[in-house]
Amino acid sequence: MIGFADLIVEDAPGKRVLLMGNEAIARGAIEAGVSVVASYPGTPASEILETLALAAPKLGFHAEWSVNEKVAFEVAAGAAITGVRALTSMKNAGLNWVMDMFMTLVYGGVRGGFVIAVGDDPDAHYSSNEQDTRFAAFYGEIPCLEPANPQEAKEMTRYAFELSERLELPVFVRSVTRICHASGDVELGKIEKPERKPVFDRHWKLPWRWNVYGPPGPVEKHRWLHGQMPQMKKLVETLPWNKLELRGKPSFGIIASGIGASYAREAVKMLGLENKVAFLKLGTPTPLPEQLVGRMLKSVKSVLVVEEGEPLVELQVRGLAKDVNPDIKLLGKLTGSMPPVGEINTDIVAHALAKLVKRKLPADRPRELIKGEIKNLVAPRSSTLCAGCPHLGSYWALKLALRKVGGKVPIVNGDIGCYEQGGYGIAGKEYKPSSSSESVRYPIDAPYETLDTNYIMGGGVGLMQGQFQAGYKDGAIVGVAGDSTFFHACIPAVINAVCNKAKGLFLVMDNEWTAMTGHQPNPVTGITATGEETKLLCVEDVAKACGVEFIRTVDPFDLKATTAAIEEALKSDKFAIVVARHVCTLQAQRQKKFVGKRMIFDRDRCTGCKLCVSFGCPGIVFKEGKAGLDPILCNGCGMCAEVCPTGAIRVEG
Amino acid sequence: MKMAELNLIIAGVGGQGSIRASHIVGIAAIQEGMRTRVGETFGSAMRGGAVASHVRIGKGVFAPLIAKDGAEIVLALEPLEGLRNAVKFLDKGGLLLTNTRAWMPVDVNIGRAEYPSLEAIKGAVEKLGGEVVAIDATSLAQQAGNVRTMNVVMLGALAGSGKLPISVETLKEVVQENVPPKTIAANLRAFELGFSAIKK
Repeated sequence: MIGFADLIVEDAPGKRVLLMGNEAIARGAIEAGVSVVASYPGTPASEILETLALAAPKLGFHAEWSVNEKVAFEVAAGAAITGVRALTSMKNAGLNWVMDMFMTLVYGGVRGGFVIAVGDDPDAHYSSNEQDTRFAAFYGEIPCLEPANPQEAKEMTRYAFELSERLELPVFVRSVTRICHASGDVELGKIEKPERKPVFDRHWKLPWRWNVYGPPGPVEKHRWLHGQMPQMKKLVETLPWNKLELRGKPSFGIIASGIGASYAREAVKMLGLENKVAFLKLGTPTPLPEQLVGRMLKSVKSVLVVEEGEPLVELQVRGLAKDVNPDIKLLGKLTGSMPPVGEINTDIVAHALAKLVKRKLPADRPRELIKGEIKNLVAPRSSTLCAGCPHLGSYWALKLALRKVGGKVPIVNGDIGCYEQGGYGIAGKEYKPSSSSESVRYPIDAPYETLDTNYIMGGGVGLMQGQFQAGYKDGAIVGVAGDSTFFHACIPAVINAVCNKAKGLFLVMDNEWTAMTGHQPNPVTGITATGEETKLLCVEDVAKACGVEFIRTVDPFDLKATTAAIEEALKSDKFAIVVARHVCTLQAQRQKKFVGKRMIFDRDRCTGCKLCVSFGCPGIVFKEGKAGLDPILCNGCGMCAEVCPTGAIRVEG
Repeated sequence: MKMAELNLIIAGVGGQGSIRASHIVGIAAIQEGMRTRVGETFGSAMRGGAVASHVRIGKGVFAPLIAKDGAEIVLALEPLEGLRNAVKFLDKGGLLLTNTRAWMPVDVNIGRAEYPSLEAIKGAVEKLGGEVVAIDATSLAQQAGNVRTMNVVMLGALAGSGKLPISVETLKEVVQENVPPKTIAANLRAFELGFSAIKK
C-alpha cells in the first residue's frame, strides 16, 4: 500500500480507492491535467486544495493558498485566460467574495478550462448560512454540475474542464457537506498531461476578449454570453449524469438532483417502489435538460422534486410544466412537502414519497415513546476551544478588562475562525428573547458567551466602527479577529477606521495558522501551500503601515499582561490594536514544540468556586462540588493556575 | 456473521479518532471488494465537538447517511456520544459497543446538564431492544503504550464482536497502513487488547 500523497497522483486507471468527495474533486482536476489551482480554506471545501497541494510538487503544477477567495479566483482566472487549465475552490460563503469578478469574467469567459468548485453546507454544520450557490451559476449563466457521490464528483470535475473549453466559459461544480466530507469507493481514471504553453492574445475569437470595457463593450459581451446558452442546453441533454428511468406506465415520478438522488434512491428502496416510479436523476440543476424533464412531466401525474438547498430545480420545473403538462401535481419545497431549511436525508425523502404514493412507512410507536423519554438523558455537548488553546487566555483577559474598564454594556464583535466559538453559547442553557429599550448586559458563564455579534470574515471590525459612528456610549466597543482573517478581510476596515477617526479596541488573536479549517498556512506562517519557505508578514507591521497609532503585542498565556494591555487599549481613546500572539496548541503539539508543565491539583484547597470552570477549558472538569483536571485532556499549558484564586491548581515547581 | 449490508456508526468527541477509525473500516471494505460509503457529521471545531461517522457497506448503498433506526452497530469512543447516536440510529436488536470513559461536556461542567451514568445508558439502550457491551478502551490504550490508540482498541473490539463482514486480517493490515509509522506497534497491541477484551 502506498501513502495518500502518492496514491492521489498514481496513474492507475481502474484502481478502486476510498476517497473523500473533496479528494475526488481534486483527483478529477489532476486527471484533467490542471495547471494552476488556488483557494482560501473554508470547511467543507478545504481538502480540495489540501489534496492538490500534495500533488502539485509531484506533477509540477501550481497550487496556492491565496489570501482570500477573491484573489484565489483571480489567480485561477488569470491562468485560464492564458489557455491553461485552472481551478479555484471555496466554501459557500467564499463564493460571496468572488461575485464581482465572477459576474464580469463570464462576459468573455476563458480560453483554458476553468472550474469553480464550491462546497455548500446545508444544515450549516460549519457555516454561518445555508446559501445555495447553484443560483450563482444560474445568475452567471454558466453550467452547474452537481455530483450525487464521490465517484461522480471526480468524473464531473474532470469533465468540467472539457465543458469549460467547449463553451469558453467557467464551469461550476457544486457539492455539499455530504459529498465533500463523505467518502466512497472511487475508480481512478487516466491522468492527462496536456503540455500546454500559456499564450496571450488580446483579441482571441472576440475583440478585446479579456477587457470588458474594450469595444464592443459590456452589453455586446453580455449578448455573447447569452449566445452560449443554446449550446449549453443541448449538451446537458446527453450527459451521463442526467438520466431518465421510465419503465412501464408509472403515475408517480421523482426528479432528484445531486446528493438528493442518492437519498431518493434509498427512499424508493425503503418503500419497495423500485420500477414503480419514474426517476429523473439530475447532474445539471442549471441549465436543466429541458427535454428530459419534459418527457418526465408528460408521462406521470405527480412528481416529487428532491434537491439540497433552495428550490432551484423545482422553480424551473414549475415553469416547464406550464407548457408541457399544466395539470401535473408538483411537490417539493414550495409546496411544503420537503423542508424549506436544513438538509435533507433518506428519512425526509421517504416521508415525502410515502405521502405522494399514499403509503405508510412502518413505525414502531411504543419504541418512539421510549425514545422520547431517553432523549432527556442525552446531555448536550457544546462546542469548545481545545484544552490549552491560547484563545482561552485572550477571552479570559478580555472578560476581566471589560469588567474593569468596559463600561456598563460593552459590545464585542466577533469574526470567523476558532475564536468564533466565543459566540456559540452553551447548548444546555436557555436564552430568552428580550424586549428591553435600553442596553442590556448579560452574564458570561463561559468564554463561549463572549461575542455579541458575528457574521462573516472581517465583519466585526467594520461593525464596531458603525457602532462608534452611531454614537454608542453605553460601553466599550471591541472587535476580535484571527491572523488569517486579518489578512483576508480586515485590512481595508482598519484603514477605514483610521481615516474616518473611529475608536475602539481591535483584538487580533494570532495563533500563526489558519487553524479552524485544519491548519493551513497564511501570511503569518511563513510557508506556502506546498511547504516552501516564504516571506513572513506581521500583523503589527501592517497595522502600523495602515496608520494605527496604538499597537501592543502580548502572549495570551500570560493572563495578567494580556489583561493589562487590553485595559490600556480600552482606556486609550484611540483605534487600538492588541495582538495576542501564541502558536496554536494543537499545531505546537503536532510539531513537538509544545512543552507541557506538570500540573498539580490540590483537592483540599479547592473551594468549588468554579472560576476555573468559567475559564472554559475542556481539560477542567467539575464533579461533586470540586474542580479537577482531566489527565487525558489537560496538556499542561498552565493558564488555569493563573485563574485559580486558592492555589488548588498549581504548576509544579 | 455475513450480511448483505452493514450500517455502522462510529461516534465520539472530536480528537478521539472516530473519523480515522471509520476510514480504516471503509478502506478494509474496499480491499475486500465491497461498495462503501462513509459519511461524517462533525461540528466546525477541531476538538471537543460531537462527531459521528456513518459507515455503510453493501451493494444497495447510495446515501452517505444511515436512516433513522438503520444502524446494526454503534461503536462509541465516548459513552454519551454512543447514547446520542443509539437513540437516533440503532436498530432493534442492534449493538452499542462503547468505551466506558467519559469526556465531560462543558454544559455538564458549568452545571447546565447532567452526565448519564453508564448504567442509565445501558438501561436506556436495552429498553430500545439493543445490546450494550462496554470496555475501558482508554485504559487498554494506555496499556498498549499510547492513549491515542483508543480508537484502534475499539476497532479491535469491533472485530472481536464478529459482526463485521470484513476479515480480521484485512482490518489489521489496514490499521497498520493508516497510522503513523512510529505508532504501528502500539496500535497493533491496542487492536489485540480490544479484540480479546470483547472475547472475554
